This record gives sequence, structure tokens and C-alpha cells, in this order.
Amino acid sequence: MVKYIIRRLLWVIVLLFLVSLMTFVVFYLLPSADPAVLRAGRQPSPALVAQIRHNLGLDKPWYTQYYRYMKSLVLHFNFGYSYQSNESVRTEIFSRLPATISLTVGAAVIWLVLGIGVGTISAVRRRSKFDRAAMGTALVAISAPVYWLGLLSLFLFASDIGKFPLFPGAGSYVPLTQNPEKWFTSLIMPWFVLAASFAAIYARLLRANLIETMSEDYIRTARAKGLPERRVILHHGIRAAITPIVTAAGLDVGVLLGGAILTETVFNIPGIGRLAYDSILAGDLPMIQGTVLIGAFFIVMANLVVDILYAFIDPRVRYS
Amino acid sequence: MLEVAGGVDSLDPGYWYYQTDYTDLYQTTQRALYGFTPTDTSPQPDLATGLPKLSDGGKTLTIHIRSGVHYSAPLASRTVAAADIKYAMERCFSASVGNGYAFTYYGNIVGAPSKPTPSVPNVSGIQAPNPSTLVIKTTVPVGVLTVPNALALPCTVPIPQSYAAQYDKGAQSTYGMHQVFTGPYMIQGAGSGTVPSSGYQTGKLLVLVRNPSWVRSTDPIRPAHFDKITFKGGNDITVASEQILSGQSMMSGDFAAPPNAILKQGLTTDKSQFQIAPSGGNRYIGLNTTIKPLNNVNFRRAIAAVIDRNALRLTRGGPAIGTIATHFIPPEMPGFQQAGGDAGNPANDFYANPNGNIALAESYMKKAGYPSGKYTGPPLLTVADSSVPASNTAEAVQSQLGEIGIKLTFREVPHATMYTKYCEVPKAMVAICPSLGWGKDFFDSQSMITPVFYGPNIVPSGNTNNAQVNNPTLNKEMQAAAQLTNPAARATAWAHLDTQITSQAYVITWLWDNEVGFHSKNVVGVQWPFNGNDWDLTASSLK
Repeated sequence: MVKYIIRRLLWVIVLLFLVSLMTFVVFYLLPSADPAVLRAGRQPSPALVAQIRHNLGLDKPWYTQYYRYMKSLVLHFNFGYSYQSNESVRTEIFSRLPATISLTVGAAVIWLVLGIGVGTISAVRRRSKFDRAAMGTALVAISAPVYWLGLLSLFLFASDIGKFPLFPGAGSYVPLTQNPEKWFTSLIMPWFVLAASFAAIYARLLRANLIETMSEDYIRTARAKGLPERRVILHHGIRAAITPIVTAAGLDVGVLLGGAILTETVFNIPGIGRLAYDSILAGDLPMIQGTVLIGAFFIVMANLVVDILYAFIDPRVRYS
Repeated sequence: MLEVAGGVDSLDPGYWYYQTDYTDLYQTTQRALYGFTPTDTSPQPDLATGLPKLSDGGKTLTIHIRSGVHYSAPLASRTVAAADIKYAMERCFSASVGNGYAFTYYGNIVGAPSKPTPSVPNVSGIQAPNPSTLVIKTTVPVGVLTVPNALALPCTVPIPQSYAAQYDKGAQSTYGMHQVFTGPYMIQGAGSGTVPSSGYQTGKLLVLVRNPSWVRSTDPIRPAHFDKITFKGGNDITVASEQILSGQSMMSGDFAAPPNAILKQGLTTDKSQFQIAPSGGNRYIGLNTTIKPLNNVNFRRAIAAVIDRNALRLTRGGPAIGTIATHFIPPEMPGFQQAGGDAGNPANDFYANPNGNIALAESYMKKAGYPSGKYTGPPLLTVADSSVPASNTAEAVQSQLGEIGIKLTFREVPHATMYTKYCEVPKAMVAICPSLGWGKDFFDSQSMITPVFYGPNIVPSGNTNNAQVNNPTLNKEMQAAAQLTNPAARATAWAHLDTQITSQAYVITWLWDNEVGFHSKNVVGVQWPFNGNDWDLTASSLK
């Protein structure tokens, strides 16, 4: 197992290197804003643009810039400085990370609890009224775009603009360390909005898997041995049916830790996703590079954790 | 204040140039030589005690500095001196500050560098013979200095050299993060000598509190009613608009305009919460005159004739967002009336019908060498802003040009990319840029005409002369107009230039923009004409 983990971690490094290289190349090949001109103001002289370009190191070939960037990153864990604000990318990313983690983890708890709970009940009570209502609702939740759902929930439930003012609205996020109660209440709506479609997908996925699993021979054997139905479902059925859910959850959490752009935008949560979005619009390569690397890091690490978890969840999986 | 576009570009007064910089930080936290109250259309003494005294045929300006104006902590014991303004102006020539207008407006000061310097230069034409006297010597009379509009720009915000020099070293000045303030407000926590994250976080938060060093009796410009001003960035425009209209003590920040639906609803049900006034800017379609057939004046006039300016205005929200333009200089600017006022010049028949005139357009096409009245050449590269509502306008332009057979290779890209990679880069050879606009720097039409039409302004990148107009006659006239020191003569000269430019249809000006500001019911919002009628937060108050 240890060898497996080390091997995977080495691949993580290779992968992050490739991601950073691709981001750099894409930035140069595709049309994006010229940071030197952006920074030079409205009527810049050619000399000013040239000077800023030189200051930012943009007058060097892309591979030289990339080498400098990687050297600084590897030796000093320095992601560089924003072209736009001149702030440290590392500082900016790490200051926004708690907001994104808060949003993602809370939403993940909700969608896992709802998805697994509803999926299990629907599978066990197949074709019941609950099953039909739950699967119908799930279809709506999957179809509803996060952006629309976010706006709708704000217009319905936000304390400032909602028809039924129940929860703090957009822009109310405060860090956990500053005020835990406000942190919690400010995230209730974003959590549910972000979790809605995931919960629906997971419920449908688990329902389908569990129905299939419950018709397996070993389930019949367990029942024949006289095990209570509850134990058959929980210990034999769900344990086997949940493996794809773990895979999906790992990847989804990884992706969202890299930034839940739409949810962060609608609810004005200062997270990584919003930062990435703004940086792309501004052609701010160091910030784009930083957010992409962080996103990629979370995805590959989540993938690794999922693979390791398999060994514990599914007895058929063993690593060597 | 709720911001949607992220707030200020920089904390450094030497960098400030855009409307948000002026609203959020310039008027609130700093004072300059001259300034504007909400009722002024000409600069009033702020740190200066009076208008410049002119000598040597308008080439020497002597300005006396107000005494007893203190900086904020950590320099609270220091008062503003003429040498601080000299240093502030000089550092605007330094590459580490990245100022965008010093070379345009201060380039004729004796000893001014011709290109950005690696460190702060000593400009011999800016002199501080004693703490209360500033002398500026120029090589030729400079109208924007004598009037003195360009001395109301943030480059004249005093900066004490002995304190700031340490932060101005290196490739990028960090003075903004350590600045001292002279205005009624300062960034929260900045009295320590460094702006903390509780006071400013890029794009997210800016908190202004009262500056204890500011004394109302020394400031003729700012009543400063609010005790604290908080700017929150990164808001969704629809949500933020609703929050402001239904909330308490909130004002619109860097909104281009609220979404159409909210604007329409607001103007019927919440009219008292909206304030709409001319912004001193315009919107236009840039036609690259170096690309065939746009080098043909009749072809350009055909385009002007076919454009339905009323339809374009509807794409942005209808009459509330501006007046249909008939020439370049916008309303309330010197020279507007002389250039034709609202109706424009009757000789320019291609601007006569705001809904477009296809028959007239076809007649111009025939004059341009297209006997059928329809364009038959290859598609023209057109690059537009991809964000709404600019993209809607651009798509309307595309459709209207189709009426006279003009086919486009149509690209929509993000706003910043459109400017920095296409429309402001001559090498990109973009024929038509439908998403352009320009705003005044101050109440002088030089700041409207020169940047957009002066030939020597054509540069490889950041080129604001998008149409690449390089007409020697016009260039000479602009040079002469820039040297006029009499305001009335200046207005007439720039109006005459507007008339010539409009008749050549280098650009199709289709809108004179309005600034649409809105606020909560308990706010008394006061607009600031100097800054495009964005809010003057020092004059606004709570009910």
C-alpha cells in the first residue's frame, strides 16, 4: 500500500507539471488580454508599455518565463505576483481557500446525506409514492442550473431581498474564525444550492446500483441465512452499491475545491472559483496559473484518496 | 457601496485614472491642487489658494499652496508643502508608478522626460522655491494646465518624498499600500503605515473611516457627511441591484448600468431611488480607415446612414441610458453646442435619421463604387465585447450592416482582450470595432478628441486612435487648439474639430451615455459631474 501511495504521489507531481505547462502554452496560444497594456492605463506610451512588459518579464520567450515561474514555485513555493493587483498569488489563494473549503465541505455533507438517504429508500421502496416523488424532484434538481437556482433562492429566502426572508443573502459570508454563527447561517443557502444537483445525481445513481445489487446471488444467500433485512441492505447491499458514489464524490469534491465558480459568484463568496473567473477575464496569468494548479492538485489528491478508500470499502480491492 | 466590477485598480494616487478610482478613493481620501464640487464645471482651488497666476505668455504658472493641511498618521505632524506636489507630479513620469496621462498633459513641462524613467526624475520645470509656492514652467502655453483642468488630476495629490521614496524604488511602487491621506477619509487601519487586510482586499473590500487629520475648515470642496464608507466587491449585478433598492444605506458602485429589467421596473416604481445624468462619455463604432473599403469616406458614411442608433440604444436599456448622438463631443462639455448640440450638423445627412436610412446608405454605397448600393467585397473582420449588453449591441450592428450587404467575420471576445489584443492593436488589422466608447478626463473637449483622433497617438499597442486617423490638417489644428488658454476659444476650436471629424465618419458615434446611479431609500445620492456623474461620496448623505 505504501509503495502504491508513493508511486501515485510521484504521478501527482508529473501531472501538476504537465497541467502548469499546458496552462502556460494555452495562455500564449489563445487570444487573451495583454497584461502590460492593461496595466499601462488608458493612453499609454509605447515606452511605458515596453517598460511594464519588461518589469513583468513578458518580453522574454514563453519557455524562459515558464522556467522562471517553475523555479520560483519549486524552490520557494512562490506562485508569483498578480499582473492586475501586484499581490502575491499564494497569499491571495490561501486567503480565499477557507471560503471555498467551507462551501464545498458543507455542500458535500448535504448531498451525501440526502443522496445516499433518498437513493437507498427509493431503491428499497421501488415504485412507491416516495420513490416517484423523489426521483421526479431529482430530475428537476439536475435540470436546474446552479446560477438560476441560486438567484431563485435569494429572491425567495434572502433576508435582504427575499419574499420570505429566512437566511442571510449574497455577500453575507464571514470566515469561520471571525464569527462561527454568521459563517454557518451565511452558508446555508449556498450549501443547499450547490448540493441540490449533486444530491439528485447521487440519489439516482445509488438507487440504480442498489436495485441491481439487491438482486445479486449473495444478497439472496444473506437473506436465506436469516439475516434481518436492515442488515442485508446496510451491510451487504449499500456497501457494494456505494463504490461508484465514492468515486464520484471524490472527484466532485476535488473539482469544487478548485472553485465553485457559479455558486461563489451568485452568493458573492470570495473563494477560489470567483478568483479564477476574474483572473481569466483580466488575463492575469500568474493568478490563473495558481488557481489552475490548486484545482488540479485537489482533483488528483481526491482521486488518490478515493482509490485508497476502495481498499477499505470494497473487499475485492487490494493494492500491491 | 456595492461594486460589481471589483472596485479600484490600484491604491496609488499616481495610478488613478478611471471613474471608480476617483469615486472610491480620490475624492474621498485625498486632496489635489484643484478639485470639483458637484456643482462645478471648472476646477476650484483645493490645496491651492487660487487659480494659477500666469506669466511669460502663459508658459509660467505660479500656484500658492494652502497652509495647515496635515497628512494622516503616521505623518500626522507634517503639513502639505509645495515640494510634496512637485514630487507627486514627478513620480507620475516613473515607470514604477505606471501613470497613464502624465505624458499627455504634463509632457510640455520644461525638463519632462519623453518616456517613462526607471526612477523618479527631477523635472526642472516644476519648482518649489518655498513650502507654499509651486512654479510650473512649460515650453509652450498648455491650455489644460492654465485653465487648470489637468492640475485637478490625482498626479497633484501631495506625496512627501522623504516618506514615499523608499516605496517608489524597484520595478513596482508600493506607495499605495503605505500612503498617507489628506482627504476627509482614510483606509481603515492605514494609520499604522501599511494598509491592512481589514481595510482593503483587492476586488473584495475597501473600508474608509474618518481621517482625524482632516479639518473641514481647510477644505472648500468636501462636506463629508458619512462616518464610514464600505465598498463590497464581486457582487452579482442583479442581486446587488435588488439589495440596493430594497435595502438600507446602500449605493450603486462600479455598475455600467443595472440590468434592463431592474432599470425599467425602477424607473416606474422606484423613481426617487434613481439618478440619471449625462456621463460626459459616448459610445461609438470604430472604423479602421487604413483598411479597404473603410478608407473611402462614402463607404463610412453609408455605414453611418444604415446604423439604427435607436435600436442600438434599446440593446442597452433605452432612453434612460443616454441620448442618441449626432456628433462626438457629448452634452455638457465645452464645444457641444458649437458642434451642433443635440441635433448635430445638418450637413451630415447620414446622422439625420436616428432609426437609420437604408436608401441614403445605398446612395452613399453607390458613390463609394458599389453600383447596386450593396457591398460585394470580402467579409470585414469585426471584434466585439462578448459581455452583455455590449454583445447585444454588436450583434445588432452586424445585422444592420447586412442591410447594405456588408458581411462580417464576427468575433466576440472578453472586454479586456478586445481592447488589448484587437481594437487597440493596429497590427491585428481589425476593420470594425462596434463596442468602443470614450469618456472625458475633465471639462475640456481636448480630452475627448485628441486621444481618439490625433495621428501621432497611433501606437503599436494600447492605441486609442482605433480608426487610425492621421490627417495632417486635423493634427495641426489639434496642436493649435491645445495651446489656447482662453476657455471660450478652446471650446470653439475643439467644436470645429468635432464637426470635421464627424463629417468624415471616422467613427459612428451612436450614444451620449448617461450615468445611471441608484441607491437605497434612506440615501441622498449626489452625483459628481466632473467624474461622469458617478457619486460624490463626500457630498452624499443619509436621510
